[in-house]
Amino acid sequence: MKCLLIASESAEVLFYWTDPEFQQNIQNQYGASQEEGHGLPAFEDSISTLFAPIIISCSTMVDRLGDSYTSFTTENNHVYVLHQFDECLYIAVNGDGEEGEDDLRRKIYVMKKMIEVLFGMVTLSSNLIRRELRPQDTEQRARLWKHLQSLLETYSHLRENDQSFLVEAVERLIHPMLCEQCIEFLEKRLVQQLNSSTERAGEEVLHAFILVHTKLLAFFSSRNASTLATSDLLALIIMTQNMYPSNTDVDDPGPESMSGSGPESFYTPEPSPTDRDSGSSDKPEGVTTPVFEFMDPDIQMAEDSLQTLEGPPPDPSMPRRVFLEISSKEGLYPMMPHSMYCLPLWPGIKLVLLTKIPTNNVASSVYKYLEAFAKLEKRLSEGQEGYAATRGQLTIHDLRSKLDKFIKALGPSDLQSAQLQNAWTEFKNRAFGRGGPGFTKDLIPWCKNMKTQLCSIYRQCFLVDSGPGSVPQRLSPGLQERALTMVQEKLVDWKDFLLVKSKRNITMVSYLEDFPGLIHFICVDRSTGQMIAPSLNITEHASSELGKGPVAHFIKSKVWSFVSRSRDFLRKGYSTITLRDGDFYFCYFLWFENETGYKLEAGDIPILPDDSAPIGMLAWDYYRKLLRYYSKNHQGEVVKCYELLTVHLGVIPTEIILQHCRQLASKLWEPSRNPLL
Amino acid sequence: MAEQSRRCSYFFLYDASKVTGESDPTRDGICYFYPEETPIDKQELLCGQLAGVGRCVSELSSSPVRFLRLHRNKYAIRMKDDFFWALGCSAEVPTISVCELLDQLINIFCFYNGSVRQSYQMNTRETLAARWARYLSNLQSASSELHHIFSSLKTIDSTNVDPLLLLKAALILQACQRCPLVLAGCVLFRGRVLSTQMSPQLTMKVMVHESETYTKVRHDSCSKCLAVSSTTVFLTLSELQYLQSPPVDKLSRSHSTPQKDAPPKKTRLSRTLSDMASTESDSSDPGPSQRISFSPWLSDSDNSSFSLAPPQIIADPQSPPPQSPVPPLSNGKNSREAEEALKDSFYQSFHSNGDGDGFIHNNGDSSVFEGNSHFSGGEGDGGTACGNVFDLQGAESHDDEAMVGDGGVGCGRAQGRHKAQQRDLSPLVPMTLYLHRVKGLVLALLVEPHFLSDTASMEEVYHSSLASLNGLEAHLRTISSGAPGTPGPYIFAHFDCIQSTLTTNLSGGPGGALEHPFVRATSLLHLHFCNTETLQEAIIRSAGAAVYGTRSVAQETYFQQQGGSLRNSGIPNHQDSAFLLPSKARHRLLKHGVNLL
Repeated sequence: MKCLLIASESAEVLFYWTDPEFQQNIQNQYGASQEEGHGLPAFEDSISTLFAPIIISCSTMVDRLGDSYTSFTTENNHVYVLHQFDECLYIAVNGDGEEGEDDLRRKIYVMKKMIEVLFGMVTLSSNLIRRELRPQDTEQRARLWKHLQSLLETYSHLRENDQSFLVEAVERLIHPMLCEQCIEFLEKRLVQQLNSSTERAGEEVLHAFILVHTKLLAFFSSRNASTLATSDLLALIIMTQNMYPSNTDVDDPGPESMSGSGPESFYTPEPSPTDRDSGSSDKPEGVTTPVFEFMDPDIQMAEDSLQTLEGPPPDPSMPRRVFLEISSKEGLYPMMPHSMYCLPLWPGIKLVLLTKIPTNNVASSVYKYLEAFAKLEKRLSEGQEGYAATRGQLTIHDLRSKLDKFIKALGPSDLQSAQLQNAWTEFKNRAFGRGGPGFTKDLIPWCKNMKTQLCSIYRQCFLVDSGPGSVPQRLSPGLQERALTMVQEKLVDWKDFLLVKSKRNITMVSYLEDFPGLIHFICVDRSTGQMIAPSLNITEHASSELGKGPVAHFIKSKVWSFVSRSRDFLRKGYSTITLRDGDFYFCYFLWFENETGYKLEAGDIPILPDDSAPIGMLAWDYYRKLLRYYSKNHQGEVVKCYELLTVHLGVIPTEIILQHCRQLASKLWEPSRNPLL
Repeated sequence: MAEQSRRCSYFFLYDASKVTGESDPTRDGICYFYPEETPIDKQELLCGQLAGVGRCVSELSSSPVRFLRLHRNKYAIRMKDDFFWALGCSAEVPTISVCELLDQLINIFCFYNGSVRQSYQMNTRETLAARWARYLSNLQSASSELHHIFSSLKTIDSTNVDPLLLLKAALILQACQRCPLVLAGCVLFRGRVLSTQMSPQLTMKVMVHESETYTKVRHDSCSKCLAVSSTTVFLTLSELQYLQSPPVDKLSRSHSTPQKDAPPKKTRLSRTLSDMASTESDSSDPGPSQRISFSPWLSDSDNSSFSLAPPQIIADPQSPPPQSPVPPLSNGKNSREAEEALKDSFYQSFHSNGDGDGFIHNNGDSSVFEGNSHFSGGEGDGGTACGNVFDLQGAESHDDEAMVGDGGVGCGRAQGRHKAQQRDLSPLVPMTLYLHRVKGLVLALLVEPHFLSDTASMEEVYHSSLASLNGLEAHLRTISSGAPGTPGPYIFAHFDCIQSTLTTNLSGGPGGALEHPFVRATSLLHLHFCNTETLQEAIIRSAGAAVYGTRSVAQETYFQQQGGSLRNSGIPNHQDSAFLLPSKARHRLLKHGVNLL
């Protein structure tokens, strides 16, 4: 019984996802009044009706008490978590005991992150994002929601099954020689060739990486690219995984079992002819990612008919527009537009290219102006007036002249720029004009209006298709094809090895001799957002090192629950934890080092409230904030943050366990120090 | 400051049946609102919104809301019929404690007033508001933050008290029980438990009245006229059945052969406590004197009662099995019948279990005997046995929730108890609480209502205990003023889950800055222990403190080493002092009577 709902303050449903049980529950409650045939709108109506009192009560509480609900728990242990981002209220529900409050909150934050990656700064305007998430056209709406639903399901599946999404750090394939070769290949051959081609249509490849399932084989960033944030990389992995789901439950990987078709097959169909041999019919029943298995037949039908209505599927060589963070000398720019090309080399193995688009600088300008208006608005609403309110990185006169030029450069050709022009003229009249209010509280609505208009421009530039007939902005299909072939040629002999390696990246066997009694460990470098852990494959067909069936499942569930437990303690400021739980002994350590590996003294870790953002790197980078916090006392030093989590048999003496932990902590990163990221 | 943050910020009872029409103002439904000086529109806002959203969520989930969280406050919720209770605390208070506080509050109200609906039919809102306020302030006055965390009973500091005095208190209670109209009792001194025969929950309820009369006595100079008092109280069927069920004391039978006269222990007891001899010899009722026996706090039979199925009598009080010692008494109650039944069941238990095989027999399908089996811990420590019953319920529902527990709702045990209380909201049976006060010392007995009209019984109980109480009071007065020892190089807290008692060397007074990290860690670990049954031991370290916690079925212990350098890099190191805590705790706590081996 699971559900995630996004609603506006007026209780309008902006997005929902439910599992079949929840849907059944809602339908039962709403009664059989629903008519067959138009499942989607009717269900949307009933979910909106049933949640409306909660949503309305939420806004009443905010308005009148300045406080709002964060969670409900019922006696039968249904959990509701609520979180408001601007004017969008997110509600996540679990009624089957599989997710706790923290999991639900994490889901909400991840959903928000995915929406930011997909819609960028449009999310900064409640008005615009509301329209964006709920298109008037029901078919368009159904298509968008289905895409978001499937992203959410892909994420949930990864979080439940993939250790790197459990701890929210990127897992690399441990094969130093091959990794290095690939990085070199990406740098010297691929990216260079792409960026010097005339067919790149003004785009510039900034990052190129190869994924084997969810694991990173090689990553290369061009010289003028900023670092790709772990949060963004993880989000991109979810997207690629959603486009080309891996059938991770099948132990023996082969082209046949790795279906390339998945939930997005109609949304972004197979772009590559090499994939033709693996149809969805090859997918073994019942062990696939549970994305569409429980699909409501009505919705499925609606979708099927949609596809026929839609005509030919979108061009496979069309890139995805994604909005990622850029840190440059001038500062941090969130949600800058990029194009993402995900080229499937073989089932399970993907080449991902991230390019800078030619109009990129419009986005950074818009962001600067948005920031300036937001700051101005904040100061005005705090009661500052006149000159005091206009202080900032951009002086108001700078802003004025720059914005004048910006608008001029946009040209008055289309409606959107004309509206921005009007809003700006209005603003100037009020702010600088003799008759206007000047810089007082009365200017706030005009600040808001400017922000909305700027977001509209941004939307116009980066989200809206240029319309039929016009030539789409992208690397030419031929160029993409050549890139694909190049990498395929490079890796063709490694293909099968890589697929196996991704399942058995590192194995516990190699540690058993040195660490008797050690059952599992996870080590994370939070400064680079990378993790190492022996594979935990729980499969039907083959036994893993942990044994078969229930025991392996039990240990896996223990690891999962220990990670969430360690976060509970970390949130309350505890950085060392040891627990004896049943037959196991768990340890968790978080520590800081400087660049030379010198262990720094443990410092205070901030204590967060129970309903704080989830600890992790995907949706909200806790560790980045932690590092910043810690670095305050270590000025001029590069501080690194590590985590180690171990599971031992409970019968092993504690001193031995602690010695193991120490050895693991000092040795783990040595053999594989790759300049991967 | 810490004390302040414990305080409940809001408490209200809202009756939705009073607000049914569109035009009915929300204020009509507000039965009680704390703090009372809250502006009425804010009262209406909170009641209206919380009750409304609560109803909506419970409809969606087909289950009442138990807990509701806002950014700044968290609320324990109870929904029953049209009533909606909410108790709000600041966000730092552990969830589990908020839930327990609300449950206690409602249970205390029902204990002294009977059913909530009836109380509101028979009394004015103002009268009952005063009572809610009293119970609330009473509950909030628990001595320390740690007591709040564990919802533990306030007990006498046994390290300062001669064990003989504790024994004496227990004997006084047993002597009183020779009167068949006396169900069970407890001895309290200055608001703290000296000895009790009742479950911790029931003892806590009784103590509310005691502390109220105690304040009264201190204000009134005429203490004599208040020496004996009584009040009507209401027991749930399960509590009553439990108190009325006869002891099936395997241990006592095996240790002291059941001779109907001259219990072997009697002589030994009278040697140590001379004044007991006379009361003992007054005894003419051979049955109850059987019950003098002392079993260890946790006898084998106690342990085995954990593995029993949940007692069905509690789950289904409406349909007692044929042999039930308690006929349905909910209305038109006939206490004679109850008494008869009581005797019958004595008879039954004596005969059916005579061959010493009783316990196994009890495991059968007869719910009566299941009820009985909980008493097997022996009369001497009724508290222990009762504790089992209540914890059993906790554990039982805990099982269901173990899977969810990790999720961090943190209400596991509270919900377990709550389930018990849900059942407890079934018919309430009026009984009488009899108090006999000798200055700071109080003998509180739960008695059959007609005890008050039975002059002979009253006289007997009064006179049999008077001398002992006086003697006990004289002893206690001289020694009990000992201030709690200043914390040494370590801090510890030891919670007995069965008796719901807490032992600690924390003063609980002001100057808690040093102790705050310990209390915080303890509260967090307690929550995790409650949520995960398999969790046995934990060491957690922040920059300021390392705390060790360990627990078994019956107890939880927390330990922190004071002072010393905590400098560490946080990297795993087996020479780290934090990992020496378990062995230190084992050694240090032995002298406090805490055995962690």
